[in-house]
Amino acid sequence: MIEKLQTLWPEITLFIAACAVMIVGLSGTRSIRALCTPICGLALLIATFLSLGGLGGVDITVTGPLPVLASYGKAMVGVIGVILLLLIPGVVDREFDAAPGGPGEAPQPPRAFEAIRSNTAEFHAFFLFSLMGLMLCAGADDLIWLFLALELTSLPTYVMVTISTARNRSLEAGVKYFFLGALGAAIFLYGFALIYGGTGSTNLEAVHASIVAQADAGGINSITMAGFVMAIIGLCFKIAAVPMHFYTPDVYQGAAAPVAAFLAFVPKSAGFFAIMLLTATLGWSFGASGTELPGPVHSALYIIAVLTMTVGNVLAILQNSIKRILAYSSIAHSGYMLVGIIAGPGGGGGADSTLSRNGLSAVWFYLVCYGVMNVGAFAVVASLERRRADGTHDEIDSVADLRGLCASRPLLGWTMVISAAGLLGLPPLLGFFGKLPLFTSGVGAGHYLLVIILGINSAIAAYYYLRLAAAPLLESRDPAESVGGEIVESPYRLRTAAGLISAVGVVALALGLGGPLGSAATSVGQSGFAPSYVGRRAADRSPAVIPAAAHTVDDEPRDVEPAADGSVDGATIESDGGPPDARFDHAR
Amino acid sequence: MTGFASAMSALTGAATLTLGQSDFPHPMHQVTLAHYLVLSALLFGIGLIGFITRRNLIIMFLCTELMFQAAGLALIAFSRFHLNHTGETFVIFVLTIAAAEAAMALALVVLLFRRRETLDASAWSELRG
Repeated sequence: MIEKLQTLWPEITLFIAACAVMIVGLSGTRSIRALCTPICGLALLIATFLSLGGLGGVDITVTGPLPVLASYGKAMVGVIGVILLLLIPGVVDREFDAAPGGPGEAPQPPRAFEAIRSNTAEFHAFFLFSLMGLMLCAGADDLIWLFLALELTSLPTYVMVTISTARNRSLEAGVKYFFLGALGAAIFLYGFALIYGGTGSTNLEAVHASIVAQADAGGINSITMAGFVMAIIGLCFKIAAVPMHFYTPDVYQGAAAPVAAFLAFVPKSAGFFAIMLLTATLGWSFGASGTELPGPVHSALYIIAVLTMTVGNVLAILQNSIKRILAYSSIAHSGYMLVGIIAGPGGGGGADSTLSRNGLSAVWFYLVCYGVMNVGAFAVVASLERRRADGTHDEIDSVADLRGLCASRPLLGWTMVISAAGLLGLPPLLGFFGKLPLFTSGVGAGHYLLVIILGINSAIAAYYYLRLAAAPLLESRDPAESVGGEIVESPYRLRTAAGLISAVGVVALALGLGGPLGSAATSVGQSGFAPSYVGRRAADRSPAVIPAAAHTVDDEPRDVEPAADGSVDGATIESDGGPPDARFDHAR
Repeated sequence: MTGFASAMSALTGAATLTLGQSDFPHPMHQVTLAHYLVLSALLFGIGLIGFITRRNLIIMFLCTELMFQAAGLALIAFSRFHLNHTGETFVIFVLTIAAAEAAMALALVVLLFRRRETLDASAWSELRG
């Protein structure tokens, strides 16, 4: 128990910090209120440090399908969380900050602070709670834990979207996001219930052991299989994949850009952590070649991956709004990453290097790359705003607003160019080193058709990413376009810093500094289930589970009356430790 | 009556779990796992269809609640079937999450109603691409 609590130090740090900012953010003194951001940043850095085994002796690897995911996944969340945090100031409570006036005007004084109208405290707290949920996802070893962690990731984001601007479109985005989120949660919860029903346990190790036993006894039973497929379809909401993707562009457009950047990374990572854990629990030892996921899950993921990539890329071409383009690109990237999940550890030929990885390592590595590149693109949108004649401000929206940015504001312009080129996967940049292992893992696992579709989609993506890169670089701004108000830089300069950090990251990680990241990715892809390990754990952990589950694949009909039958039979309810057959005999 | 039982198991795809349905002494007096699963699947289906077809925000939210409770019912039935308490434990947590979502949904509904004086989801379609 103590060992398990020890693995939660990063989350505990974030929790303490979240409680602290909830109090600090309500202070009437501006300088104390301004401490919210540093507190969050400090907590995230400490959490990252602890995740990587800081303080020596604190080992946060867990037992489960992917033991090292807990450590590196949490560290990834901490680092990218810090970059996301730099975008947060100014999202809520702008009226309590002094607003810079137009050219030649004095700054407008802030409103007097009213705690009841302030959102700073809860916004920062929700930010930390959501990241805490994501960290918990990475360390999950049980379906109950996974469900709660996924919900902890999502519930705060619903509020963050809704309060991110005072406009009606944020409210609409919040409602769409919340309702579809609840639908997605209900679907994967039902999937989890069926997995529990089919295997008799919610512990991922025990589930794996039961699946191995079922497969040996003739086949995985249909309830377990249906459970996994439903869980994956429900999780498609979190990763913005096809059957549940249609909220994405509306929500990203309606939310403020910093929150959209948050949505594009945090719930998506939570979904991918969950899908990686579930598929690793199933194992890639089925199919004709013995290196595939079990048939139904394989087919479901295959169809989802192909549709997600294609729909995301084709619809992105038709868009004019930057945030909608990035939303569809986020959908397409989920499709790319699913290729790595389908390929599994069989891909990459077992040899992990920069250019060829096992499918799971590739997915984890790509998540980091995507997080870094994507924050850069959203940071540019967040750093620019259109100031109207009446003094109100709004975010820039259309690609045309980026024109000539490299000339007028070189830092932001080049950040956009580098991020867009990185997301496209141009060779010297980070996106290339992220995407290539996905290709090689697909080839290594023999899914040639999937890899070809991935290649075609990457080519389609060039159209809209090059538009995002060309607008600031090659086009010049027409003065007649500034009818709606002139475009100025946001007074919150930390946002520019976030963009700059991610642009530097896209270049630096690609130019050799990505070595530690690469080896981290390699270790994340290692499964925690060695065959002998599975046998031993299954035997000593939950003796009743395996025999009970073994019944379910038994073809021989038995006289069993398992569910409650209206008669009071308390003795059998308590007979958990009894021999399996005796337990079922009470009905006769 | 045997036909009824096997139809139920076929309906849920639960043939492997509902062992020995063929020789029930009094099928109508005994409630098996399959009955619970069918009820749970029906609740889930009603919730899903309701969510897709209805446009009133409160009804849509109740439909997702229905789907949550369908999962809860399945968990309890499985818990009794496997004779361990994991499923029941799970349900407690599910209820907690459902309560949190209810709080959030009602807060959103109140906000929306103040702005537009309607709970029709189609009144909110400013965002289109």
